[in-house]
Amino acid sequence: MVPILTINDVKLSIDGKPILKGVNLIVNEGEIHAILGPNGAGKSTLAALLMGINDLKSPDEGELIFRDKLLNGLSIYERAKLGLTLAWQEPARFEGITVEEYLRLSGRNNPDLNVEECLTLVGLDCSYLFRFVDDTLSGGERKRVELASILAMRPKLAILDEPDSGIDFASMEDIANMIRTMRDRGTTVLMITHREEIAEIADRATLMCDGQVVQTGNPKEVGEKFKNSCVRCEVRNPELVGGE
Amino acid sequence: MAVRNPLDLIAERFVQIGLPEELFKKNKFNLLVDRNRVVVRYPAPGVRSEVVETPTGVKTKVYVEPGTKLEEPVTLCFGAAEATEVQTTEGEIVVGEGADVKFRVYGAMAEGIKLKHKNKLKVRVERNARFEFLDLHYNGEETFVELETETEAYVGENAYFRSLFKQTKGRAGKVRIVLKAEVGRKGVAVFETKMIGKKDDEIYVEDVIHLNGEEARGISKSRIIAVDKTKATFVGETYGNAPKCRGHIDCSEVIRGKEVTVKAVPVVVVNDETAKVTHEAAIGSIDKKQLETLMARGLTEDEAVDVIVQGMLR
Repeated sequence: MVPILTINDVKLSIDGKPILKGVNLIVNEGEIHAILGPNGAGKSTLAALLMGINDLKSPDEGELIFRDKLLNGLSIYERAKLGLTLAWQEPARFEGITVEEYLRLSGRNNPDLNVEECLTLVGLDCSYLFRFVDDTLSGGERKRVELASILAMRPKLAILDEPDSGIDFASMEDIANMIRTMRDRGTTVLMITHREEIAEIADRATLMCDGQVVQTGNPKEVGEKFKNSCVRCEVRNPELVGGE
Repeated sequence: MAVRNPLDLIAERFVQIGLPEELFKKNKFNLLVDRNRVVVRYPAPGVRSEVVETPTGVKTKVYVEPGTKLEEPVTLCFGAAEATEVQTTEGEIVVGEGADVKFRVYGAMAEGIKLKHKNKLKVRVERNARFEFLDLHYNGEETFVELETETEAYVGENAYFRSLFKQTKGRAGKVRIVLKAEVGRKGVAVFETKMIGKKDDEIYVEDVIHLNGEEARGISKSRIIAVDKTKATFVGETYGNAPKCRGHIDCSEVIRGKEVTVKAVPVVVVNDETAKVTHEAAIGSIDKKQLETLMARGLTEDEAVDVIVQGMLR
């Protein structure tokens, strides 16, 4: 197993409030790795820190290492050039930009880019190529286009923040297959979720709670742990909820 | 000595500032005016016109015969391929009952010239007619135009009128655009302005829509990108004067630069209890999430800004 991403004792406070309290995690090349945890666990903050968005370029302490390269301090563009990208939980909408243009921009460094196939893999037909990536797309459609843009880009590591949100239950198998396809084509996937049934498509999973890693291992076991302890913990400790 | 065809020179100057070359290669123009000279005049089926050259420009009258439906747009160009102090254009367009036509009008001011351009246009869209007026402006980066343009439109019963003013290439200059419409029963007026101001450009846009007929509709939409030291003002006024009429003002202005001044003034007036007029206005820098998304796909910040801005201006 070759690590593609190593997170070493990462600590981060926002407005004086500790959000990440010493996170340690290794994501191996070629795997689907799920980060599971309740709301407020610090999952989305960790994703933002990895991509360098929301002005989070470096942790207060610790290291983010991507293929032997220190990410701390790098811009979003520099991280993307290294082969890292992020699919937002609630993706941005763009006035006047078609789905085809968005996919071609995303995949401009992918010599094997096939925009029609990217759409098909997320369950959208080719008529969507001419649609605008704006408010005329439903939340679920926009989410699928976002995932298609990751397929188009074909990065080395894709962070998918809640890829299941906004997707109806019946279509979840499409999304699961798309994530597997992503992996089979050489993209390592780090998937953020708070639903254990989604985490089950992963090769490995990590449970996060209150800004720390609780357990890493088999997705079923981690899912069980989440269900049996964290969900109850969330009820018992409502102050842990809502930190993200 | 061989004399060069004046159209070749105009084509060269206008293509240089971004006009599509195929307009010239495929003889697309129904009317092309350079300063005050009519260079091309080619009638479109069902469209009658009178064009008179004046000392500083042209006066035109266009009448689209009732029931005329054209697949291809009527293509016009009013420009200046060489320096001149002033260009004035006055026009009247009547779109007859049940007609359905689109005018694509190119405003082209060649690289490096400075001039004042004044334009007055009266439009009448008769009952059940549909008329789109696409006003596409091309200036050079070193061109400076003082543009004053005023359009007054009457939109008849169940008629549709769309006016798009778009600064496609180059500097905007000092621009004052006033668009006014009176809309009859079940008529629709759509005003759109899309511009980018650079350096010390000044942009003033005023849309005034009177919804006078029952169930009339009006949309006033502006997208202005203000860069460097640009001053931009958008005034959108919509009056809901009749039962069940609906109006909306949608103004979005993006600022890039510390010395930019941008103002948006939506004015909403309703004189009937069943009328409804709404507005939304947003002024701010480029949306951070859009920017970060494109950068996460490997675009530099400048590339991402360009993509977002061009999308807004499309």
